[in-house]
Amino acid sequence: MKTISVTINGEAYVETVPVRMLLVDFIREKCGLTGTHVSCTYEGVCGACTVQLNGEAIKSCMMLAAQADGHRVTTVEGLANGEELTPLQKAFKAHHGLQCGFCTPGILMNMTEFLQKNPRPTDDEIRRGLVGNLCRCTGYVHIVDAVRAAANSAT
Amino acid sequence: MYPAPIEDYIRPRTLAEAVSALARYAPGEAVFLAGGQSLMQAMKSRMVRPRCIVDLQTLTELKGIRISDGLAIGAMTRYVEIAESQAIGPAYAALQDAAQHVGDRQVRNRGTLGGSVCWNYLASCMPAVTLGLGGTMQLLAANGKTRAVSADDFLIAPLETARAEDELLTSITFPAAPANTGSAYKKWGLVTDALPVVGVCMQVTLNAAGACSAARIALSGLSAGAQRAPAGEALLVGSKVDESAMKRALEAIVGSVDAQSDKWADTAYRHQLIRTLGLDVANSAFARARGV
Repeated sequence: MKTISVTINGEAYVETVPVRMLLVDFIREKCGLTGTHVSCTYEGVCGACTVQLNGEAIKSCMMLAAQADGHRVTTVEGLANGEELTPLQKAFKAHHGLQCGFCTPGILMNMTEFLQKNPRPTDDEIRRGLVGNLCRCTGYVHIVDAVRAAANSAT
Repeated sequence: MYPAPIEDYIRPRTLAEAVSALARYAPGEAVFLAGGQSLMQAMKSRMVRPRCIVDLQTLTELKGIRISDGLAIGAMTRYVEIAESQAIGPAYAALQDAAQHVGDRQVRNRGTLGGSVCWNYLASCMPAVTLGLGGTMQLLAANGKTRAVSADDFLIAPLETARAEDELLTSITFPAAPANTGSAYKKWGLVTDALPVVGVCMQVTLNAAGACSAARIALSGLSAGAQRAPAGEALLVGSKVDESAMKRALEAIVGSVDAQSDKWADTAYRHQLIRTLGLDVANSAFARARGV
């Protein structure tokens, strides 16, 4: 067991956890933040568990919770400011960038950082940026539309 | 997929602490954890069941790209940092070709050059690129001894390297390249940025007359692991660097390597990938050598 302190969405969570606990389970089960999803069997292939570690998109099933000790994590719950959605969240709503919505939290966390680094992406760059996030509903067309619209709305 | 129970987790603050932490356990019972994008998978599948994790994340001396009499890349330098670096010139641009297409953004934000090379997975890019660029592994042992091992000697076979159980890879160094040297890497996988079914890395140098004076070629994705292609290198050196010379060199490689048939691609298809990717890579490497 290891006692760790992780700041998630600005709030410090101090918990004693088994060393083998994955960060995604810490977020969901110790901190009760279930917006971060698990869509594969922790194989690192679906991207639904993507969160930001110190501002960078990472898959939270590919890390031990102990590795996040002392670090800052942002989950999908940390994006909106109260009821005020981010431009990317608004664009997903306006452009129907989701159907079942299960993959959406991971995509939002990945594409939020993607747009910070590349505010004027081409469609090809958006699609390459989405390689690590599987969506089984949309065929990605509306997701790409939403990311492009969010980029354009930020002018 | 979930890791087996792990007894301890250590986050050393110095290189000496890191190697001594590992040495407290029997060989194989404690593992260094770099970015975790390979090792976490191996632990979740229980192919690796460590008693102790030694997490290298705070060791700043393992991070970063330094240019001085050649190129030195810290073992904990992440793909994203290599992909976005402005410091890596044309002689070592193959590192960037590879790093830009490893996995996906999330993997590139975590995965490290040193982790990939020490894991030495069969279908991975960085071991072949390090080999193709003539990299040298700088290793530190628990007794404080350091040694340098060429990529040729370090990469033994898939999942096997010359790193001793108690050694830490600290950096990979590349010699200062002669003028008019360029390199490139390209892979083909089943989906965008997937693991390489075949990948080709070339580093070439041109002389004042515009002929090829030095060449290193390495392949990824073949069952023997990252490997040089000396038959192709020999035909490129001295050539006038036209398309027919490149094709002759690639045909010599096809004729000399053992390309397996598996569910991803059969032997004939892998041969065709070597020809097609190889021509792109050769054109790109020679263009970079010319400074265009």
